[in-house]
Amino acid sequence: MPRIDAHLHVFTKVTPEFPREATPICPAEREEPVEKLLDVMEKHQIDQAVLVQIGGTGIEHHSYLLHCLNRYPDRFLGIGVVPINHPDPTEHMSELSECTGLIGFRLFELGGPRDIFETKDVREIKAYHIWKCAAEKDYVLWLYPRSIDAHLLPYLIQEFPQVRVVLNHLGMTPGKGKFTLDELGRPQIQVSGYNLNMHTTYRLARYENVTVHLSGQYAFSKQDYPYKDLAGMHHNLLNDFGSKRLMWATDFPWILEEPGYGELTSVIEKLLPNLSQRELDDIMGGNAKRILRFPNRNT
Amino acid sequence: MIRPTPEQKRQWENEGYLVFENAIQGDELKRLQSTFDFWAAECKDEWLDKVETGDAAATFYDIPNPLEKDTIFIDIIDHPSYYGALMEFTEDDLILLGPQVRTVAPFPVSYTAWHPDVGKDSPLHIKVQIYVSDVPAKGGEFGFVPGSHKPDSGPYQRPLLQESMPGHKTFPGKAGTAIMFNSCGWHVSMDNATDEPRKSIILIYEKRTSGRIGPTQFASISKYCTTPERRRLFSLPE
Repeated sequence: MPRIDAHLHVFTKVTPEFPREATPICPAEREEPVEKLLDVMEKHQIDQAVLVQIGGTGIEHHSYLLHCLNRYPDRFLGIGVVPINHPDPTEHMSELSECTGLIGFRLFELGGPRDIFETKDVREIKAYHIWKCAAEKDYVLWLYPRSIDAHLLPYLIQEFPQVRVVLNHLGMTPGKGKFTLDELGRPQIQVSGYNLNMHTTYRLARYENVTVHLSGQYAFSKQDYPYKDLAGMHHNLLNDFGSKRLMWATDFPWILEEPGYGELTSVIEKLLPNLSQRELDDIMGGNAKRILRFPNRNT
Repeated sequence: MIRPTPEQKRQWENEGYLVFENAIQGDELKRLQSTFDFWAAECKDEWLDKVETGDAAATFYDIPNPLEKDTIFIDIIDHPSYYGALMEFTEDDLILLGPQVRTVAPFPVSYTAWHPDVGKDSPLHIKVQIYVSDVPAKGGEFGFVPGSHKPDSGPYQRPLLQESMPGHKTFPGKAGTAIMFNSCGWHVSMDNATDEPRKSIILIYEKRTSGRIGPTQFASISKYCTTPERRRLFSLPE
């Protein structure tokens, strides 16, 4: 069974060849290239990975991601980003995905009515056309929506049951103003002590096309590795989604310094110690291979 | 005070719930409904702000501090329709933990999983759910597994689909219906397939244990608690 890191980021310094937006988390001079990733993957026996776009939503901002996918077609699959307000999302998604190894798109917003009790016509949700395109082209949707959009997810998932949906980072939906960077430059998400996801994203387990990342623990936990305060959340996700619909990921490079890539390769065993070997293998890569359709590696 | 009948006592012991139809009715029900609607509308924007910042669940909301907003919310705490049963089952040593004056969105926004509230070794923990509007079948009605409160029952597992829970019973009802249940039993709010939010009030009680509720918890409504019985119920100094 391959071991697959199902969500991480690589990027170079801002260059004419690989333009991207400079942000506090990705300043212009910082680089975390694919070669560095391959080194740590090799060291820790990780076979393949999902590279997720960072550094902008424009076609040109995806240059480095596409370069990596082209150079290592049997090691990586890619997730691009499509802006919610794009005038022609179908064209954007097609241009990025045609013969590139890019299999889907990440969304941070869904764009529906703020009033949760408002009767909804799913076609009026801004992200509707992106979901429709994903359904028609068999793209994966990679979701990390805002809290205020969480209630829209089941409408879209019901409308498009054929779309493979991957909820990022424990299915969390960050609140407005709750994102900061810690002293190591890692994302930190302030979450309520009461697990609100129990009411919002866990219910999505009833939809068979929904999968959840077991990742991003460092950003939500109030404890050091192995983030035991999140063990209950992991157990609930396992109970609701089952071991066939969970995917392990590291969120490289934010975890390189603390706790370290190697530590994260055993975080699932520490948080879910009662998993059988088969279940662990599924979460550590088998599910990503099956659901995301990873190619076999060239030997 | 109306004490439960022998038949009601048997049902409570064996099945863990009682239903009081028309527990609240007539003008009292109308006043409860209009007060509920007024404050639910007043408090909605504040709730949506909290949803946006990740500080509130996006599936239902409660009117904050309802006891301070209208005396009708105090008067239903020791309502004669079910207060006698509460007292009987707690050997006349009942305390209020709090009310939840709750609006729940229709499915697919709202979804609750089957659960017990407390373990079987906890002090007797009782909830009374009052329907403020009619709650039809598949309209977010209360669901309960009769007998699941008993020490030797179970073990139970949370099913993926609510209707798959073995042995469960659902409780559609008219506005004013009150359902009392032992909350160490497995229960749920069934999916609401209608277009209307479910409006209900959930009153949470327990058999008194020392220090469970402090004397300041309900101090803000002290002036409305003038009888010794009510002051004991709200854990206020006598």
